[in-house]
Order: sequence, then structure tokens, then C-alpha cells
Amino acid sequence: MSDGFAIATGTSEVGGVERRASRSLIPLIVPILLVGAVLSLAPIWLGESRVLMRVAVRGLAFASYAVGFNLIFGSTGQLFLCVGALAGVGGYGAALLADEAGWPLIPSIAAAVVIASLVGGLLSYVAVRRSLGVIFTGIVTLIFSLTFLNVVHQIGGDAGFAIQSGSGTFLRSATPSYYLMLGLVLVCLLVHGLLRRSHIGWGFRALRDNEVAAELAGINVARYRVLAALIGAAMLGLAGALFAQTRGRVSPTSYEFAEVDVLVLVMLAFGGIGTLLGPILGAIVFTIVGELMVDLGLLRLVAHGALIIALFLWVPRGVIPTIGSALTKRRRRRPTPSQEAALPERVEDV
Amino acid sequence: MRATIVDGLALGLRFGLLAAGLTLVYGLGGVLNLAYGQMAVVSAMVVLFGIDAGVGVLPAIGMGLVAGAVLGLIFDLTLLRPVYRRQGESRVLLSLLLSLGAAFMVDGYLSWRYPFRSLSIQIAGGPMNIVGVRLGRGVVVASGITIVVLALLFVLFRFTALGRAIRSVIEDEQGAQLVGISPRRMLRLMLILSGVLAAIVAVTQAMVRPVTVTTGFELTVFALIVTVVGGLGSFAGAFLGGLGLGIIWSFAASHIGNFLSLVILLGAAAITILIRPSGLLGVKE
Amino acid sequence: MLEVSGLSAGYNGNNVVHDVSFHVNEGEAVMIIGSNGAGKTTLFRAISGLLVRSAGEVMFQGKAISGLPAHRIVRHGLGFVPAERHLFPRMTVEDHLYLGAYPKRPDPETMSIVLDLFPRLAERLRQRAGTLSGGEQQMLAVGRALMSQPRLLVLDEPTTGLAPKLAAEAYDALAMLRGRGLTVLVAEQQVPLAMALSDRGYVLENGVIRMEGSSAELAENPEVQRAYLGLV
Repeated sequence: MSDGFAIATGTSEVGGVERRASRSLIPLIVPILLVGAVLSLAPIWLGESRVLMRVAVRGLAFASYAVGFNLIFGSTGQLFLCVGALAGVGGYGAALLADEAGWPLIPSIAAAVVIASLVGGLLSYVAVRRSLGVIFTGIVTLIFSLTFLNVVHQIGGDAGFAIQSGSGTFLRSATPSYYLMLGLVLVCLLVHGLLRRSHIGWGFRALRDNEVAAELAGINVARYRVLAALIGAAMLGLAGALFAQTRGRVSPTSYEFAEVDVLVLVMLAFGGIGTLLGPILGAIVFTIVGELMVDLGLLRLVAHGALIIALFLWVPRGVIPTIGSALTKRRRRRPTPSQEAALPERVEDV
Repeated sequence: MRATIVDGLALGLRFGLLAAGLTLVYGLGGVLNLAYGQMAVVSAMVVLFGIDAGVGVLPAIGMGLVAGAVLGLIFDLTLLRPVYRRQGESRVLLSLLLSLGAAFMVDGYLSWRYPFRSLSIQIAGGPMNIVGVRLGRGVVVASGITIVVLALLFVLFRFTALGRAIRSVIEDEQGAQLVGISPRRMLRLMLILSGVLAAIVAVTQAMVRPVTVTTGFELTVFALIVTVVGGLGSFAGAFLGGLGLGIIWSFAASHIGNFLSLVILLGAAAITILIRPSGLLGVKE
Repeated sequence: MLEVSGLSAGYNGNNVVHDVSFHVNEGEAVMIIGSNGAGKTTLFRAISGLLVRSAGEVMFQGKAISGLPAHRIVRHGLGFVPAERHLFPRMTVEDHLYLGAYPKRPDPETMSIVLDLFPRLAERLRQRAGTLSGGEQQMLAVGRALMSQPRLLVLDEPTTGLAPKLAAEAYDALAMLRGRGLTVLVAEQQVPLAMALSDRGYVLENGVIRMEGSSAELAENPEVQRAYLGLV
């Protein structure tokens, strides 16, 4: 139970020693199945309303986005500000291959996912090779995002275009598409969870904590980073492609920075960066909140902005770790001196 | 051809001024202010309300400049407190996130409340002939103001004691402390100055093209691109980078089209980051 | 003049310097000697305000400076020349000297003293600090600190990276300044030079003061001789 919780919280604060407890997958699978079970009940309440089902499907898409971003940013600290763009690569890629090039649906989606994955991997590789810090990685990926959106505005225009292939299939109807997206989320969670428990996950943790030490310990930081980016981008691409299918169209607005990245950032920050279930929690909460606020129109942007500030100021680790800390307090070592003592170079003047 | 270059220079001057505020704040305090474009827009709104209220155009512009200064101060007093407690990359990251949040808040509110307002300052008189190129009078006045402001900044940094003090903080924060300079106070000053610069940019921009409530992010993106290419923390870099990118934009826009111009500028920024992350004239770590 | 009591300081919650106490009287020259990693730099950074201390007090001329930020401490008359120098690479020698006097205008007399002391700097007033040689940079760091007319000059390993001739010249300069009434506190690994200059000294080892005494006493001490003077 405690191991499962430790996994969910992403903390291994027990004296810093990795507890290789049971190798069984139960602590990983149980929470995921629970989440899956709970979420699969949603159509019972929402099934009546097409609008609400659409919102729910969108929420699941965002959950997948958040898991992918969590893998890239949470696990290896790469600030990829192109979540929407990578999803867009999947979405537009699949649509174009299927509609324009006449490929069958599944291969076109698969190919789009591969392309998205490679793009993500390339961005990561470049960032690693040029030793770009977090900020420059963010800027470069933001540049990619802006460029992609600019290009995409030219293809099919500002409103996008409808996807022909896949129309009339189960993909377009509310409930089946819900379960499809739910399945995707669970698969992404499973992949992320398995990675974390493997030696790869150990490498992620090591390099996030102290890159230099990890490098010295023989961990090929570059390889882990690129790997995380490849897998994470694949998740984003797949989510983007499937989500576009459920909608039946692709448009630039669905992949814009302000629409996607900001929200994903907030969701992840809220749930807990680096945790397993954090993205799910964040996605659920903010989809609900977003729906409640839908009448506010542009004011939602204000709320998002306020949330970003509040979250990164006061709850930077997110809800799950904070709760996790509170509950495992007994087990924790004596707390080290506050964060401020950890920054002895601070010289304040008012 | 000459027209393209002159257009590009006029645009480039504004780019330079735009980037100056952003790059100096970064160089001085290691803080990235992504709400910079919004500061410009809010100042423009203040000018607009001033004009609406019947105050003359010049006093309204004055109000806008004051508003810019005040915004810079507010930014310093609120968001920067927690940011300044961190160092290095952590500081940049937090400032980036918090200012992004602030940018969304301001942008969202303005778009919601005043969706159709825009500031446009008409300069009386027809087009003028500059070195054989016909330019709208608004562009000429805007460029003139920009040149004057840039020159004043240059004089400030190079020839005054305050300017020297500011430069020293950019060069080495701890060294500056050792000679009795408070980096925090310099940062506050610089933020106020960057607010005023943002306001000036908004006003000069309004002479060329209407400044709407949505222009905020556009301005920030351009400022960021020029800053990255010219060099973080370098005033000269912002100036030269601005001019260069302005000319590139002008050529790209006239031969290809506006959308590609943005992509080219973005590409230039990306290439700069990949080849020389500190920018053309930036301080190499 | 300088009174340090129970000072502890370090990084990331770990103290490097533990409960250090010492004092410097007006007009004296005091040395803190110790090998690499003994904590000299941490100690000096804590005193100068560049590092926030964990515990202890520092009194300078009767005023408590312990919690003050570095830029305020300088204004009290304590000049610090750190081991890393912290010069301004793209600014000129002249800029540095002007800045040293900040916020006041540079005092012409002090300026001429500094330039007399370091004629090489006088030759290179318009040169950028980044292009100076190691010895010149060290001189500039000291010159900059002197421009604020400090009562106490604190130097952390001023001879690092200097050729022996230059190191000796640096200490000659310090001796000259002492003659003009400057109080000096210096941390050194190159002990003989410091010993020649100083009246008293402290030995810092593993962040703790192991020994203290007059220079003569320390010079006689067999442990000091073995560890720091290279005499067996």
C-alpha cells in the first residue's frame, strides 16, 4: 500500500534509499485500474448530453497530453512548450495521410505518431547536444510551436478542415470515442508507470536530481532525455490524432499554445509534476472547472493566468505530493532547513 | 529595394526599442518578463482613456508613460519578490511562469472587457520623402522618437554614473555588491524604465498601426526573438539585432508574404540559439 | 575593529565553518591561514555579506553587520577582495575605479594613490578588464576596493595565480597601505608572504580555528612549520 502510494506520489523520501520492494506490478496496476474503473462510469451520468460527452472526451485527451508532457518535463526536466504542436503533428499528420495520400486509417495514425515521436526526439536531441538549459529548451520548443501553427494556418486555413476517413465509424460517436480515449489514457499511464519502475525510471530520477552526478555515475543523460522525449511525443501525437478523429476535424486552434500548453501546464502543476496520477487529477479537475466557467468566455484566460501564478507560487509541487507528504510525515526524516537556507547566496534588499 | 531597406530600418528601430526593455531586465536581474507586451498594451489603453476623457493627446501620452513606469514598479513589488529569492535558472523559470500567468490575466481581462478598442495616433500631414523613399508621416515620427529614445539610453548607459552602475550589475552581480551597489534596487529601476520603454513602444507603434488589446503577445514574441538573436542582456545587441531582423522581415514580407516572415524570424532565433545561445552580443557565461 | 563571534556558515544546510571567533584590531594586519578547503573563503564570504551566515555575530567598528547584505557592509568601510575577484569583464579599468568609489565621486587623492601603487593600471585605464593579465586583474580588484576608502581591507588569497614576483609586489603594496593606516585581514595559502606582513594570525582547519598567536609564535610552531611552511 505504501509502495503504491509512493509511486503515486512520485516521492521516495524514505531516507533517499530506493526501496526495491516487491517487483510485482500490483502497486502500479491497481491505481491505474481504479482510475479507469471510476472514469468508465462517467458516461452513465453524462451519456445523455452530447455536449458534456464532448467535454469529457476532450478532458481525456488533455489527460493524455498531460501524461505525455509529464514524461518529458516531469521525468527529465525538459521544458517542451510545444505540447499542442506535437499533438497537432499527430492530428494533422494522420488527417493528411488518410485524406490526401489515401492511406488507410490505422497506418496513417501510426505514421503520424512516429513522425510526432521523431520530432520530439529531434528537439530533445538538439537541446541535449547544444546543452541548452531549461529556458532555451523552452524557447526553442516555443519557436517550433509557433512555426508549426503558422504553417498549419496555411494548410486548410484558420478553421481547419474536416477529416474524411473514419467518418461514420465508431470513432465519431460519443460513447465509443470516450472509451477509446479512456483506453488511451490508461495505456499512457501504464507506459509511464512501467518506465518509472524500470531502471530507466531510476535513471530519470537520478538525472533530474543532479545531472552532473548522474553523468558521472555513468548514466547517459542524453540518451535518457531523448528517450523520454520520443515516448512522450509519441503519446502526444497519438492523443492528438485520436482526438481529431473523435472530433472529425483538425483545426489550428485545437493545438495552439494558449489553448493546449497553458492548460496542460496548469493541470500538471496542480496534480503534481513527476507523479503518476497527477496529470489525471489535474485533467479531471480542470475539465470540470473549465466547464463550469465556460460562460465566462475570455475571462477563462484570466482564471488560467491566476491559477498559474497561484500554483507555482504556493503549491509548486502539486496537490498529490503535498498530500503525500502530509500523510507520510511520520515516515519522513527530520525536515532539512527551509528552502531559503538552501540558497545561502540570497541577498535581499527592499 | 531602397524602400524595403528603409522600411526595414524603421521597423528595426522599433524592434530594437522593444527588445531593449526585455533584454536589459534579463541581463540585470536574470528575470524574464513575458508580460512585457501586456505592459505596452495597458499603457496604450491608458493613453486611449486619456484621449477619451478629453485630455489632449500629448498629456494622454504622458499618462501612458507614467502608467508604464507604474506597471514596472508593480511587477517588481509583486511578482519579483518570490522570484528574487531564487538564483540562476530557477529564477528565470519562475519569473517566466509568473509573468506568463500575469500576461494571461491581463490579456484575458482586456480582451473580455474592451474587445474592440484600439489605440491609433494620427500624425497630421502627408507622407514624407526620406532619402528618396516615401514614408507615412506616422512612420517618420515614430522612427524619430525611437531614435531619440535609443540615443538617450545610450548616453545613459555609457556616460552616466547610474548607467555605469547598471552595467556593472549586468556584468557581475556580486562584483557590483562589493562596490556598494544594490542589485535589487537597480533591478527595480530597470523595471520601471522597461515599463516606460514599453509605453513608448506602444505609442510609437500606434502611429504606424493601431494597437489593439490582442497585440500584447505579438509584441512579447517579437521582443523575445530580437532579444535572443541580439544577445540577452546586451543593449547594443538589442539595437543591432533589431535593425537586422527588421530588414530581414521587410525583405521577407515584400518578396514572400507576412506569414513566412514570422517563420523566418523564428528560424533566425532558433538558429542563433543553436549556434550561439548567448546571442550575437550577449554576455558569454 | 572587527569582531567575529561564533560564526557558522555553509551551503545547502551544511556548515563549512563552525563557531569561528576572532578579532582584528585597528591598524593591525591579521592573517587567516589554512589549506584548501579549510573554509577560508566561506568565512570571508560570510563576513562580507555575500553569504548568509547560519549563526554568530560580526561586529565592525562597534556596529553589527552580521545580517546586512554585502552592498551595505561596503558602505560601512569594509572592503572585500574575493578570491574570484568578481571584476566586470567588458568594463574598463577606469570604470572599475570609478565604480569602486560608488556612490560618491572618486576622490582624486585616493585615485592617485591607487595608480601610484599599481602603475600598470595607470597605463591601461581604457583597457577592458577581461583583457588584463592575471596579475593586472588582481591589482584592479584591490584598486577597486581601495577606491571606497575602506578602513578595513579583507583579501581572500590575493596571490592566487600570481607569479612569485607579482605576489611579492602585491604584498609590498599591502605593506605600504598599512603604513598609511589601513587595517588588513588576509586569508592565505602562501603563508610566508602573509606572515611577513601580519602581526597576528589564526590557523583555520576544517572550518574551525585551531591555533592563534602572533606571527612570530606561529612561525616557531612545529605543526605550522610542517603543514604550511614546508619545513620538516
